[in-house]
Amino acid sequence: MKNLSTILATLVLVFAFMNSASAEDWKVSATAKKKLNPYELSKKNISTGKKVYQTNCKSCHGDPTKANMLPLVPVPTDLGSQNFLVQSDGEIYHKVKVGKGAMPTFEKTLNDESKWMVIAYLRSFDKNKKKAVVTKAVVNPEVTDVKIELNVDTEHKKLNAHLTGLKKNGKRAGLEGVELSFLVKRAFGQLDVSGEEAYTDAKGELVVQFPTDLPGDREGQVDLTIKITDEDEYGLIEEKRVLSIAVPTNPKNPLDERAMWGTRANAPIWIIASYVLGVIGIWSVIFLVLFQVFQLSKMRTKS
Amino acid sequence: MNDNTKSKETTFTFDKIKQDVLRPMQNHKGLELWIVFLITVISVGAWAYYVQLRDGLAVTGMRDYVSWGLYIANFVFFVAVSLVGMLISSILGLLKVDWIAPISRIAEIIAVAFVAVAGLVIVLDMGRPDRVLNVLIHGRFQSPILWDVTVITTYLVISSLLLILPMIPDLAICKKEIKTAPPILKKLYAILSFGYTNTPEQHKHLHKMIRTLMVLIVPVGLAIHTVTSWLFAATLRNGWDTTIFGPYFVAGAFVAGSAALVIAMYFFRVNYKLKDYITELHFDKMGKLMVAVCLVYLYFNVNEFLVPGYKMKSGDSVHLKELFFGSWAIMFWASQLLGNILPIMLMVNKRFRMPKPMMIISIFVIASAWFKRYVIVIPTMLHPHLPIQNVPDHVKHYFPSSVEITVTVLSFALALLIITVLSKIFPVVPICEIADQKGIDYKIEE
Repeated sequence: MKNLSTILATLVLVFAFMNSASAEDWKVSATAKKKLNPYELSKKNISTGKKVYQTNCKSCHGDPTKANMLPLVPVPTDLGSQNFLVQSDGEIYHKVKVGKGAMPTFEKTLNDESKWMVIAYLRSFDKNKKKAVVTKAVVNPEVTDVKIELNVDTEHKKLNAHLTGLKKNGKRAGLEGVELSFLVKRAFGQLDVSGEEAYTDAKGELVVQFPTDLPGDREGQVDLTIKITDEDEYGLIEEKRVLSIAVPTNPKNPLDERAMWGTRANAPIWIIASYVLGVIGIWSVIFLVLFQVFQLSKMRTKS
Repeated sequence: MNDNTKSKETTFTFDKIKQDVLRPMQNHKGLELWIVFLITVISVGAWAYYVQLRDGLAVTGMRDYVSWGLYIANFVFFVAVSLVGMLISSILGLLKVDWIAPISRIAEIIAVAFVAVAGLVIVLDMGRPDRVLNVLIHGRFQSPILWDVTVITTYLVISSLLLILPMIPDLAICKKEIKTAPPILKKLYAILSFGYTNTPEQHKHLHKMIRTLMVLIVPVGLAIHTVTSWLFAATLRNGWDTTIFGPYFVAGAFVAGSAALVIAMYFFRVNYKLKDYITELHFDKMGKLMVAVCLVYLYFNVNEFLVPGYKMKSGDSVHLKELFFGSWAIMFWASQLLGNILPIMLMVNKRFRMPKPMMIISIFVIASAWFKRYVIVIPTMLHPHLPIQNVPDHVKHYFPSSVEITVTVLSFALALLIITVLSKIFPVVPICEIADQKGIDYKIEE
């Protein structure tokens, strides 16, 4: 037992040393460290940063503070941990930009603004800076039964969403300043058609222009999902609708035509013909020869 | 060198030819031991195959990257060797090259044995061999696989006919002469001689059929190897995506097939004491033929590797550098040097076109031919265009498992067994054709 704990302690020390050694490998110059996030820690920026984080960082690092990162070697850092957040904005910015080892560089993949938004999002987990988060001017009343109502102006392809919640006094009230996502189902995922600044107004309403050139199915139908982008405050609130406002298309199934890639039944005629004629041609000669062989013994009697 | 000095003075009579050719068919010294050995090897291979059937293809070294491994390389090799039947008895036969007469039957026996086993090797590579007929039931006409199965079956049938038909007069002789043959063999001779008594009418009729088959097997023989190459060339993969794969495979097949024939010729010449029939002249001619086919193959190799090597497209360059300087370099250069360049340099000298040197060179050529197929199939599989993310390390490498190797050894033992049996029950040198060629009159009685 004593041995075991000695070994464990040694291992911990070794790992700690290795970690510190690898941490030292990030060489961040003093000027880079001094950089400050030029964007304020507003709710909107944090929400934007969260979006960027979820598409670019989450696959390896997991959710901040949740410790659900991928089990890679070395283990990806929990970016919401206070150990990580003691670093300056500039340091984090530099690491995102340059990358190291398994951590890819995001210099070209993310623009500066997105990088700073991610940092803003991460700062929202920083215990020392939480106070600095700019609180929104409007405070929505405490509500239950939040729902999204959708009115569609088919002619102008306008989607009018109305976000309301049930106040304690039993009246419905619009929720202001909440970001909504308008998602259209495509072949491999969802297309966000919300556009910039998809926040509800004072009445809890938001009008989004549906793209005029978006193809739908044969009847022009698309599957639309409207949801509150940030699920933290009200949970998962979404509204699903099938709308006939997209451009009707007549998708061609490439398997329907005769082609090299087609099924057996849809093979090009020339290739079926070559095969069948070749087989028939060669094998009829073979059978002819076989038949002729049996004629040999008949010729014997003639001699 | 002293084994052939008296051949020039030998006077041939029909009886002498008959005796010389039929003697080894009745002399079974050492045969049992050889057959027991082959059957033992086949049994061990069969057990390995049973393990593969029971536990699935996971017992092989094949994984997600290399799904065509040793079996397919071996299959291509077997198909290649079988092409010798078409080269010797058909192309040269139609061109009325007369020196091939004593060796054309050996070529046909090799062709039949190797193409039969080639078909079997494909089935051995299948995880679900019980579904083999699905190729014919559901196979797509656009897929080279359907064509390959068709063409191999057809080639096997025509090769067997080209083995049996020219043998009909000889079998009529066997029926009468080999008195010690077991009854079942006598029955076989009786059936397969089709009542042949060498009447002028029969002679003419038979040779017309043989010539028809000789013409027929040329397109089928070309097709079998071209279609096999299309299995590879119809993909976009580096190293396979080339336009000359068809002729490249055909040329390579001529090289491998000729080498196999020379080895078999040497064996029958020594063991069957057929020095008067398979003479130094035949080895000399085969040597010249091999130089010719090797040169053609070398020419295709230069095109196949120099042209993409000059351009070094990004995908090709990974593949080619692995072949030229990487982990495949030894196998690649050994097969090119020992199997092609050095044999050409040696065989242009008359000294090396004697039986024994020819046999030794041929062993190198055929071994190189086998490794060449391995180098064609596996390195390309290791460089997919879309690599798998976080792929386990063992998937990135390939080495055949012991089960795979044992099953492959089985395929060789089986081919040798087929050749052994065929060369014991059938005369390996055509008796009547030699007599015809030497102007000896003969009669075949019923």
